[in-house]
Amino acid sequence: MDEIRFNTPHEKGKIDSLASDILKSVRINAGFLLWMTFLFTLLAACLFAYIIQLRKGLGVTGLRDFTSWGMYIANFVFFVATSLCGMLISSVLGLIGYNWVKPISRIAEIIAIAFAAVAGLVIISDMGRPDRLPYVFLFGRVQSPILWDVTVVTTYFVLSMLLWFFPMIPDLAIAKDRLEGRPKFLIRAYELLSFRWMHHEVQYRILGQAVRILLILIIPTAFAIHTVTSWLFAVTPRTGWDSTIFGPYFISGAFVSGAAAVIIAMYFFRVNYKLEKYLNARVFERMGRVMILVAIVYLYFNLNEFLVPAYKLKTGDAIHLRELFTGHYAMLFWGIQLIGLVIPILLLLFRQMRKPLPMMIISLFVLCASWFKRYIIVVPPQAHPNLPVQNVPVEWMVYSPTLIETAVTVASIVLVLIIITILSKLFPVIPIWEMAEEKEDAERIIQ
Amino acid sequence: MKYTTGVIICLMLLPSFARGQDWVVPDDRKGRLSTFPFTDDTRKEGEKLYQVNCHSCHGDPGRNNFIALQPPPGDPATEKIQRNSDGEIFHKVSAGRGQMPSFRSVLTTDEIWKVVSFIRSFNRSYVQKVMQVITSSAYPGAIISMKLAYDEATKQVLVIASATSETGTVPVTGAGVRLLAARYFGKMAVDEEKTTDVNGVATFSVPEGLRGDTAGNIGFSAMFTDEATFGSVSKDTVLMAGMPVIPVSLTANRAMWNTVRKAPVWIILAYGLGVLAVWGFIVLVMFKLRDIFTVGTALSENISASHGQTEPTKN
Repeated sequence: MDEIRFNTPHEKGKIDSLASDILKSVRINAGFLLWMTFLFTLLAACLFAYIIQLRKGLGVTGLRDFTSWGMYIANFVFFVATSLCGMLISSVLGLIGYNWVKPISRIAEIIAIAFAAVAGLVIISDMGRPDRLPYVFLFGRVQSPILWDVTVVTTYFVLSMLLWFFPMIPDLAIAKDRLEGRPKFLIRAYELLSFRWMHHEVQYRILGQAVRILLILIIPTAFAIHTVTSWLFAVTPRTGWDSTIFGPYFISGAFVSGAAAVIIAMYFFRVNYKLEKYLNARVFERMGRVMILVAIVYLYFNLNEFLVPAYKLKTGDAIHLRELFTGHYAMLFWGIQLIGLVIPILLLLFRQMRKPLPMMIISLFVLCASWFKRYIIVVPPQAHPNLPVQNVPVEWMVYSPTLIETAVTVASIVLVLIIITILSKLFPVIPIWEMAEEKEDAERIIQ
Repeated sequence: MKYTTGVIICLMLLPSFARGQDWVVPDDRKGRLSTFPFTDDTRKEGEKLYQVNCHSCHGDPGRNNFIALQPPPGDPATEKIQRNSDGEIFHKVSAGRGQMPSFRSVLTTDEIWKVVSFIRSFNRSYVQKVMQVITSSAYPGAIISMKLAYDEATKQVLVIASATSETGTVPVTGAGVRLLAARYFGKMAVDEEKTTDVNGVATFSVPEGLRGDTAGNIGFSAMFTDEATFGSVSKDTVLMAGMPVIPVSLTANRAMWNTVRKAPVWIILAYGLGVLAVWGFIVLVMFKLRDIFTVGTALSENISASHGQTEPTKN
């Protein structure tokens, strides 16, 4: 039967060897249960903090009249930014035709799903009255970037889910008969979710069409999600947010944090899931180059965002920039620029630094700096209201997150880890059939 | 940190500094009295003015809900404020000090007295003393009054000042007069300060296009600039001297700031079509899932038929 792929003994053998490697990690073992217990315990502790906030109101946070967007919104921006990696890896690099992204495209989608899903929850944590969430839909104004944001975050999440799921259907069909010893519910889920996949060419053609639509669709959606997030700030006349380049500035920043998150995840899957063969040095080397590229682009936007107003020093900008450059936020600001951008770019120029372990360490710094960068973008501009106000309590003027706020933020990060763990532990993280096809191509070229 | 400490020190020093200085009203102002008796009407008008101009800081009289400022604005119904003489209250409202703004150019003399009338309504033991005769060093013993008129032909407001005494009425000459027009936020000076001529008339040119209400009415207030010489006389009159303006509500038409029903069409279209397009494709992709399933089902049935098996072949 010519129309059926992977039908020859040779191809079947290849699939067998790939599946035995990749499906090794798909199991509910003691390590997984221990890790999940730890995560859920931490989550429960942090959710207790949220319950306190829910009962007592946002007064338990450091948010006051001046700084009404604090750690929560900074965290939200960071989450949305990081989730953009799905689009960067699968769509942009995939559509260009880089085959080396194949083994990491599913990892990128998992990260995208986790961060996009939790980003929506982070917004709810910033609401004093979360029971009024339906009002966004009932009384939402089509003119409000907040409505646009809710729309695109939801859409992006759905698209990421589909882009994770669709290319996995053949893998589910391959795996469903190779899951001996796994829980019954998992085998049953694989059977259901493989949608009677028979590896028939017609099915591959339909799948190809669906994935192509999704790959193209996710590019404008991903651009919209982060541009709209930037517009939440940029459509206000507030100094520090009133910028025309906020859209691309946010997108380029998102690529940096997204790439860093993917590299960290790649390293952990490589080591813990024993996938060195697939997440090999070559893939890391390529990702290192991608990282340099996106970091340089982001550095360029930073230069525009800070140098141009610093040259003109308009009254409001002068106060804001002095705070960032030499004032209260100077350490944080320069630390972020150096540790999160300049030094990583310089280090990654060396081939030795583009090896898995150094890359992972560099990416950890980049990711942490990315989080604090969002804090710098969100918080300092609010400390200086446009209208002069007298006799304001000190706690209004100086924002500092409380323990409860920090705990709720930690909860969101824990939730991301839980989602990533579940998706990567219950489903294969490397696309089996795509790797088999790539191997096929490589062999054909060699012959 | 340096900044925070500085702010804390300033905030701590401010009340002691403010308390250290009592608000002393000049002696010649303390005994000043209202030119009209306080009635229910003046109290009601005073209340309206109080709500607009004073309430935000002083709160509701008698309820001690003034805002937390240093020095505290205080509740006008309290003994601390009520023990001021009418002249002292008038002076403090008029001149202002520190965070208490001056209302001299916001309210007319009469309006300030109406506010005093309202404040006094919270004092049961208060007995008003009314100035019977407006004293004027230029016209001793005479009652000085003003009249306002509008000359449509020359587009001028005429302020006619006269002094009436037992011997008769004479024009007040050589007196500096200011004319103010009521605007949204306080009063606006109309023309420059003018001096009354031999007929006691001062003429003010009304700027072209000065916006009035729907009929073109504008509330004018005229007053002497030299109160010491001519007495604190002022006159509020509504004249049809402005351009009639039929206000268009800012929410009448489609606009970015309006409700969703009155949003700009382009944004409704852009958002609606964008969402529709993307979700249309998502639905299309979901149908592909059904297609995959259908093909798979057909194939497995074929295979079962040809092999006589129930399960599809495994890879």
